[in-house]
Amino acid sequence: MNRISDPKALASYREKLKAAQDPNKTMIHFCAGTGCIACGCEEVADAFKKRIADMGLESSVTLKLTGCPGFCERGPLATVYPQGIFYEKIGVSDVDLILEKTVKHGQVVEKLLYKDPTTGKKIVEEEEIPFYKKQMRLLLGSNGLMDPTCLDDYILLGGYEGMAKALSGMQPEEIVQSVITSGLRGRGGGGFPTGWKWDSCRKAEGKPKYVICNADEGDPGAFMDRAILEGNPHSVIEGMVIGAFAIGSNEGFVYVRHEYPLAVKNLNIALKQARQVGLLGKDILGTGFDFDIEVSRGGGAFVCGESTALMASLEGKIGEPRPKYVHTTDYGLWDKPSNLNNVESWANIPLIIKGGADWYASIGTENSKGTKVFALSGKISNTGLVEVPMGITLREILYDIGGGIPGNKKFKAVQTGGPSGGTLVVETEDEMVHRSMVRSGDVQVDETVKSLLDLPVDFDELTKAGSMMGSGGMIVMDQDSCMVDVAKYFIHFLIEESCGKCLPCREGLRMLHDILERITNGEGREGDVELLQEVSNTLIDTSLCQLGGSAPNPVLSTIRYFRDEYDAHVRDKRCPAGVCNALVGYAINENCIGDGQCVKACPSDAISGDPKGLYRIDQSKCIQCDACYQVCQFDSIVRVGRDEANDVQRRAKERWVPVKERPREKVGV
Amino acid sequence: MATVKIRIDGQQVEAEEGSFLLPAIQEMGVEIPTLCYYKYATPYAACRMCVVEIWDKRKKNKVVTACNYPIAEGLEVLTHSPRVVAARRTNLEMLMSRCAPMPVLQEMGKKLGIEEPRWGWGTDTCILCGLCVRVCDEIVGARALGFASRGADRYVTTAFDGEADSCILCGACASICPTEHIQLEEADGRKIIHDEVTLGPNSAISVPFRQAVPNVPRIDPEYCIHFRTGGCTVCSQVCPKDCIHYDEQEKTEEIEVGTIVLATGFQDLDPEILKPYGYGKIPNVITAMEFERMNNAAGSTGGKIQLQNGAEPRSIAILHCIGSRDERHHPYCSRVCCMYGLKFAHLVKEKTEAEVYQLYIDLRAFGKGYEEFYQRILSEGVNVIRGKGTEVVRAGRGRAEEGDLLVRCEDTLAGVFREIPVDMVILCTALEAHSDAKETGRKFGVSIGADGWFIERHPKLGPVSTATDGVFLAGVCQGPKDIPDTVAQGGAAAAEAMSLMIRGEVEMDAACAVIDEEKCCGCRLCNDLCAYSAITFDEEKEVSVVNEALCKACGTCVAGCPSGSIKGLHFTDPQIYAEIEGILS
Amino acid sequence: MSFEPKLVGFLCNWCSYTGADLAGTSRLKIPPNLRAIRVMCSGRVDPSFILTALSKGADGVLVLGCHPGDCHYSEGNYNCQRRLPITKSLVEQMGIDPRRVRLEWVSASEASLFQEVVSEFTEQIRSLGPLELKEFDFDRAAADAQLVHE
Repeated sequence: MNRISDPKALASYREKLKAAQDPNKTMIHFCAGTGCIACGCEEVADAFKKRIADMGLESSVTLKLTGCPGFCERGPLATVYPQGIFYEKIGVSDVDLILEKTVKHGQVVEKLLYKDPTTGKKIVEEEEIPFYKKQMRLLLGSNGLMDPTCLDDYILLGGYEGMAKALSGMQPEEIVQSVITSGLRGRGGGGFPTGWKWDSCRKAEGKPKYVICNADEGDPGAFMDRAILEGNPHSVIEGMVIGAFAIGSNEGFVYVRHEYPLAVKNLNIALKQARQVGLLGKDILGTGFDFDIEVSRGGGAFVCGESTALMASLEGKIGEPRPKYVHTTDYGLWDKPSNLNNVESWANIPLIIKGGADWYASIGTENSKGTKVFALSGKISNTGLVEVPMGITLREILYDIGGGIPGNKKFKAVQTGGPSGGTLVVETEDEMVHRSMVRSGDVQVDETVKSLLDLPVDFDELTKAGSMMGSGGMIVMDQDSCMVDVAKYFIHFLIEESCGKCLPCREGLRMLHDILERITNGEGREGDVELLQEVSNTLIDTSLCQLGGSAPNPVLSTIRYFRDEYDAHVRDKRCPAGVCNALVGYAINENCIGDGQCVKACPSDAISGDPKGLYRIDQSKCIQCDACYQVCQFDSIVRVGRDEANDVQRRAKERWVPVKERPREKVGV
Repeated sequence: MATVKIRIDGQQVEAEEGSFLLPAIQEMGVEIPTLCYYKYATPYAACRMCVVEIWDKRKKNKVVTACNYPIAEGLEVLTHSPRVVAARRTNLEMLMSRCAPMPVLQEMGKKLGIEEPRWGWGTDTCILCGLCVRVCDEIVGARALGFASRGADRYVTTAFDGEADSCILCGACASICPTEHIQLEEADGRKIIHDEVTLGPNSAISVPFRQAVPNVPRIDPEYCIHFRTGGCTVCSQVCPKDCIHYDEQEKTEEIEVGTIVLATGFQDLDPEILKPYGYGKIPNVITAMEFERMNNAAGSTGGKIQLQNGAEPRSIAILHCIGSRDERHHPYCSRVCCMYGLKFAHLVKEKTEAEVYQLYIDLRAFGKGYEEFYQRILSEGVNVIRGKGTEVVRAGRGRAEEGDLLVRCEDTLAGVFREIPVDMVILCTALEAHSDAKETGRKFGVSIGADGWFIERHPKLGPVSTATDGVFLAGVCQGPKDIPDTVAQGGAAAAEAMSLMIRGEVEMDAACAVIDEEKCCGCRLCNDLCAYSAITFDEEKEVSVVNEALCKACGTCVAGCPSGSIKGLHFTDPQIYAEIEGILS
Repeated sequence: MSFEPKLVGFLCNWCSYTGADLAGTSRLKIPPNLRAIRVMCSGRVDPSFILTALSKGADGVLVLGCHPGDCHYSEGNYNCQRRLPITKSLVEQMGIDPRRVRLEWVSASEASLFQEVVSEFTEQIRSLGPLELKEFDFDRAAADAQLVHE
């Protein structure tokens, strides 16, 4: 491919590509993102390639391996164009079926269609699926339409149009002003207005200046940056070129974690392609502007997502943060003015330039513009990436898009912003939560509060509700989640990830973990909750960076909303959710039909009984592994307090009747 | 940078904009606890003990670390608000629960009102303040230390936990460590107690000795970190008068003078060449100079007389004439040893309970009051044995109870061979001329005697002057002598030099070469012969001319003149012929 | 009575003359045959002095100067060192054994060396016997020179 010498040449090249496309040719867009790789899509893709060759279909069908469209719950995914038929959960055995029926004869394979769980109707087209219906996929939309390793695909979708516009027709001040007007705020978590950051970096004294893309996505349960880098690396490159031009930088870095091999691979391919055709490097698009990007791989330290630690790591030093009393836009990488933005922020830039700041500003709420990608995980039906306009309610995200909580369980809380942002949005209508909030002084006793599920999701509203946007991870918890255990989980994660430089973070997290461990082990003492609060406040006040400063959030917010649960652990030595092993006893109630599944699952031979009779758990042998609970389909295994287990079983013995003698409707799956 | 006004604890103070808050607070006399701050390294802000509550000029309230918060106009600071005090307490308590009870933590705990952490003491002796790492990195420049692992598992170590190639063994990490977590050890695990024997610890910056002139410290480039790695420069930052300049190195200065007094002194004989005494091999065999250093109140034992293991010696032998009056080394008497040997005996008796043995050939107590002192020593119970100590050996198992060493000698008065068990042996080593005395002598036109000392012009008539006009001798460089004699000679040399200087003019020797213009053929042979360029050629008269002020009257030109036109006054040819004739008649 | 040679010594003021002094104060035994003439420097020793001494009845001439590099006048002894071989050859041409003229280096501190040199030189001259000056035959010498040239 030849160098694209100027913006006009780019436009004409795009036209040429469009003309060469055959709109009627069958295309199979097959997701090859990391999520689908985990579902085994590589084998399926190989099968597709092999079968297409075997059946001699090369000329009539094209297989395109795309990035992640977001619906990871249902992977591997494929969409067959031009009809736009959406297939889910494709196995190797389904390949022939698709090729035979859909490709050859244009028919729909019913069994691979998505079935709406509420209506039970099969849905053919992608846009009609509820998961996608309410989304606004400005960023992720392209992922399913293009091969990330193919520059032509990106150009065909209007790629580098924004860059061409910025470099040839706009002054740097104008670009910065556009970004300010667009209202784009940093997607990495802080929510600082991107335009203002660019402005101060542009005005900062000192040369050279650097632009950096933070792709050190470390929050558990967040993977939107990975999806963008894997599925559409050119959009990030384009955004960085525009940003560099606006700021006056000629050198950029992408700091990406080593655990994202596919992202690194695709990004490097994209960089090479862009350099080859003159979209990156010397004299970009013939405008005389030089800019190049270097990829730096991080060793996977969570703290390196913090800007100063990231820069230290880029410099080749230990990835430790330094106090930000002086901003990195003045003294950043190698003490030079540096502008650091997150992957998602960068990917938004081409859209703003191409579509115009006013268009972008029209999306979202007053102070939060555009869309935001959330990563849904945890106890939710549709895990995956969802991109929604700012201002959408949590209920819409969780129930309409996410499909609600599986297994008819009760929603308990959603944790946003990753472990260090780890704050909760809860169902405030819950009685227990309400009681805790009264204790913490959030509400009056007789005050009824609006459910937080109806909260419009944007930066400010979430902050007002005591949570934060964070990087966009959403971990959903249902009634089976113990909040003390959740807090312990996040603190444990942070202990592993704290760099250990400053005392409060290093020692405080250890202290918090010790106390939480004690509580979950049933050794909690009166005053432990206050101690947690004391240590947490010290961490917030005196930690060096935001890792430590926000680390106590999971603890404080769970105490705020679930103080009752803490008290149950400490005083009653009981885990209401039945999670904390040391506080839980397993018992078999009268629902037991005697199918013996639990006996097979039990690793410690604690369950005994006759087939079709009532089974019993020997409490002295039970190791609280939860295996029986997981396999029982009759809600017969219950998690109760340690002391209550035998009572439950005794009662069950009194009430139990053989299955045959039970009323009909009581038996059911 | 501009000076700005800030308020600290309600008190208005002026401070430099952009400088850090902690020094400004400390300057006010307000005490703020800190564990990781070191004035000469970049603030690290890791211990978070120095946190203060501030309101910036936008009235935004924050808790920040004072050690690295840059001062700006309108800053308001509370150093002991309940919020920060509580945070400090919790932080310290958490650190205590990690670490073993150590003085630095206990003291700080006392100040903050924590006797015992609620969670009990831990075991770690490192508080992870990072001082060692930063000092090694920023000040020493060796970069031998770093942190390994993350979070609570973090620890200070060398690269790959191995022996650090880049370590220069300066010991800065150990000296800065507030908890003695890092310690220096000798290779065989022995603690360094006896380094005073090497005449003082190897401090890189020190006054060379107490009476040094000028009495100022100097940097020893062999030990100075700056000269080894280019780092440090702490001393120049400490110096309030800006006196330290590293580029000011040793240089040669040329001073024009009319008179010179040579007082270059002597060197001690290195007793290691005297194998039988075991110096350098057997412990606690030391030289007189080392004993003096040990006895000095400013020395590192603080004037305590002790053995290498720190114990007090039970007995000491003082061996006279080590290398002096010895045909194999120096045939002359070093003159001072007898008296200082007696003085040592007196000091040992005064400071310790030790038994003292003096082993001498002849006791030369010749000065005023010297004999009386000798008598006093005898009355103090010092064992004075006539007989040279011939050998020092380690005592065998049987004798070790009395002393670790055995000194062998022949008691010539008693006529018996003796073996004396002692703990310490002091060798009264010979004074000898500097090894480079010959070179010095040549430089100043002063001859060296067979024993290496400078030769005076005349043993009786010119004891302080030399063969070279204007060069005088003082002190031991001319021959062994004690302090009174040295002072006297110094005075004499100074007086001689002064008399030359006060006169302001030099009386020339009447001897001088003159050229007979009539006879001179203008060959200029003499011009090149003259080492003093005293002969020049008069172009007009076409004859050579002698400058009498420059002429030293060596007569080389006289002998070399082919036309016999140069006359050496007082040594004229006729005079010498007459002399020859006279002595041969 | 045995032959007692008459020796003339030209002694440099700064080294050998002082050395002789030191030999005296050191009570070293020195043959009385040497008659010393003090010169300020061995460089002052004009070859004619040596010839004069020999012609006036000396049996040997000893010139003593400072060790090379130690000259009080920097390089007077070097000049002497250069002159002496010429003087010796001149003496030889006159029919005198050149061993009767000798240059030695003796410093101010080398009293014993002075003693040694003088004793040894005295013994040498003693063995050579008294100097008998013949009438110098210039024509013969010229003819010899001619022969050498041819």
